[in-house]
Amino acid sequence: MSAAPITPVGPATTRVDVSGALRGVRPGLALAFAIVGFFVVSALLPALLAPYDPFDVNLRDALQAPTLAHPLGTDQSGRDVLSRVIYGARESLYIGLAATALSLTIALVLGVAAGLSGKFTDGVINRFIEVLFAFPVLLLALLFVTVFGAGTTTLIVAVGVGTAPGYARMIRGQVLAVKNSGYVEAAGALGHSYPRIVRRHILPNAMRPLVVLLTLGVGQAIVWASGLAFLGLGVAPPSPEWGAQLDAGRTYITQAWWLEVMPGLAIVWFALALTAIGRWIQQRLEGGQR
Amino acid sequence: MRTPKTLLPLALLAAGLTLAACGGNDSASGGDPGAAFAGATPVKGGTISYGHEQEPPCLIGGWVQQAYIERQFADSLVSQVKEGEIVPWLATKWKVSDDQKTWTFTLKPGVKFTDGTPLNAAAVKTNFETWLNPKSLNPTVDAYIGEYYKSSKALNDTTFELTLTKPYAPLLSALSQGYFGILSPKQLAKGPQVNCEQPVGSGPFIVKKWNRGKNIEFVKNPNYNSAPANAKHQGPAYVDGITWKFLGDQTVRYGSLTSGESNVIYNVPTVNWKDAKQKFEVQQYITPGRPVTFSLNTVKGPFTDKLVRQAFGYAADRKAAVESAFNDVIPYNGNGALSQSTPDYDKGLADAYPYDPEKAAQLLDQAGWKENGDGVREKDGKKLTVNLVYPAGAVFSAEGATALQNIQEQLKQVGFDAKLTAATQSEVFSGKYSTPDSYDAITWYWTSPTAGVLYIVWRQNLKDRPNGNNSSFYNNPTLENTIEKANSTLDPAEQKALYAKAQKIIVDEAAAIGLYTQTTSLASEPKLRDVWIENSQGEPVFHDAFFAKEGGDS
Repeated sequence: MSAAPITPVGPATTRVDVSGALRGVRPGLALAFAIVGFFVVSALLPALLAPYDPFDVNLRDALQAPTLAHPLGTDQSGRDVLSRVIYGARESLYIGLAATALSLTIALVLGVAAGLSGKFTDGVINRFIEVLFAFPVLLLALLFVTVFGAGTTTLIVAVGVGTAPGYARMIRGQVLAVKNSGYVEAAGALGHSYPRIVRRHILPNAMRPLVVLLTLGVGQAIVWASGLAFLGLGVAPPSPEWGAQLDAGRTYITQAWWLEVMPGLAIVWFALALTAIGRWIQQRLEGGQR
Repeated sequence: MRTPKTLLPLALLAAGLTLAACGGNDSASGGDPGAAFAGATPVKGGTISYGHEQEPPCLIGGWVQQAYIERQFADSLVSQVKEGEIVPWLATKWKVSDDQKTWTFTLKPGVKFTDGTPLNAAAVKTNFETWLNPKSLNPTVDAYIGEYYKSSKALNDTTFELTLTKPYAPLLSALSQGYFGILSPKQLAKGPQVNCEQPVGSGPFIVKKWNRGKNIEFVKNPNYNSAPANAKHQGPAYVDGITWKFLGDQTVRYGSLTSGESNVIYNVPTVNWKDAKQKFEVQQYITPGRPVTFSLNTVKGPFTDKLVRQAFGYAADRKAAVESAFNDVIPYNGNGALSQSTPDYDKGLADAYPYDPEKAAQLLDQAGWKENGDGVREKDGKKLTVNLVYPAGAVFSAEGATALQNIQEQLKQVGFDAKLTAATQSEVFSGKYSTPDSYDAITWYWTSPTAGVLYIVWRQNLKDRPNGNNSSFYNNPTLENTIEKANSTLDPAEQKALYAKAQKIIVDEAAAIGLYTQTTSLASEPKLRDVWIENSQGEPVFHDAFFAKEGGDS
């Protein structure tokens, strides 16, 4: 992750004009919204969309190629892959959101503290972030899994902590930029107290890009979590988590392509759709530049 | 701001995976793939590239994976052929005293270890003493003969005498396994550390180098003169060596065979079995001993009640679950005590605990576990939750895990809330799941060429500690005495009856519920001839193997 370019920001009172924003929606973006919408509904109300119980074993129907009855085929235990992809959305989305939330919380604390504090504290926090940076995310995640054992919580913590330093550095940069901006200086000149300036001007303005980070981060966290689950270090089977499905289907890759393709597509589409939406939000915030 | 850089490559990777998966099914024409090379005369030279699965922590030791490796560089005293028959190997003949306690082995003269030292009676004696020395203990050797061993003596250069504390009928079968390979005392004197990586035997191959995580390089022993009587030829191996590769991922392993990277592979993925049969020479060995079973915890939790254990057996269609998960390649083994290929196996128990959910429900009712509306049964406010632990990965295959998931679903139907816990190889070997607190049921096996394995698995205590192999923690003096008596009986009919009685107790008490057999399967390219699987443990044998010339003299 590169250090983010500092976005010039205006006063916090600027609001995004939603109706105006939607006018600029391209078909690709509409598709992205549709995909994310589908998976969000899947996560919230899977029973509404899934034709079968995702755990329902039916040995006679094992490894069936896609048919009308099972549009995405069945797995080695005869479970319906479509239903599993739909139910898997909940777990994957939960891991993605929770990991990103954790990551941003850590990043906020570190980034804001570094940005607002004096040179010495800033230096200490920066070195700390750099040390974290030295560990590739996957390695850090592997460390967590080894120490705490595989499972949903470990996965969330591993991905959350692993991706935090990148965000922390971005937030620090943002805080620094806002701190030195004209309107903060003006607020100071007007006699506003420092805590008030921080509360009213610095934080709100520095935090705006977080909306973008959050959107991009969820997609990224889902990919990380799936990757770890694929290595057998995530959620245990028979969970329909997407990465776990990829791992379980790996053995059958030469005989039953749908076991890899279907959950794989779910991961790819969902991550791409979130990225597209994230970029769109980013452009809106930056004043409609393309 | 940009998209985080890591996302794109990962997304591409996922997309690539997606494309790679679209290969579809292969459909080769039928026929015998090896027909063109049948009857070819042996040709010297070449190195066999062999794709194995599990990599053990040391090249010698008590795990069956170590026996497979030891077979390549060491010889045992005897060899076992089908039906438990024993033939000469390092020992050309043997006799036993009338009280069945003293065994005298006559050794083949002129056999040398590959470090040049002689393989004589004194060397055999040193091996027995090293196996049973607490500092260099081989746990499997100890499990077989620890309790029976009294002393050993070198009467002269070629006569070795083994004295037992009591008669032990399975002795020769036990000695035929790779764990009992005779190693060079000169090398053994250098300690377990050195012998872990550089053991020296008298076998057809020499360990040249072990590249951990990758492979073992074996080279031919040019002076080999001690092949077992059941070998296809005497004298040195035909090939120059073996590259024994560790390919843990079964898709990769099979791919290495289809792409020509490997000449032969171990454990053919069951999903590729049909394809392999059409393209390669395929052989399968059903491993005798304790099959893969559920050991039910008889001292803690719901399975302390025999009725609940029996209900667990009836609750799931284990046969269908196994056959479906293993694509009908690996056989179901309903008898929870012994694998169907073990001598003295009781066929009458093959259908123990057939699928009968009504009976399971009735047994649970009787045991006081009542339905409460939410699907999970309850007794005294406690839910019928059971923790099923299975050693995943190297010990328990992906297909095995699928079978467990199939069973888990059916257990749910009768009111068990079964949780599956996948234990890693290191967790299993470090003993994390070895106490009554750590599981309600665990899947386990113990490969062995004799029904004498029952004593290893079911006795309550060893001389100085609880028996770690009794993973049901089951204590039944009648069972223990029956097996002990069978082990010391040399009348085959009486012995068979006693082993049968022991199997019946284990099955009736539902201390273990059968699942499937361990197997060794090999798929080799058609031009690689005469690779075979020996009969004590399913160890692959490469001493007779050779690469036939194209268009050989068939």
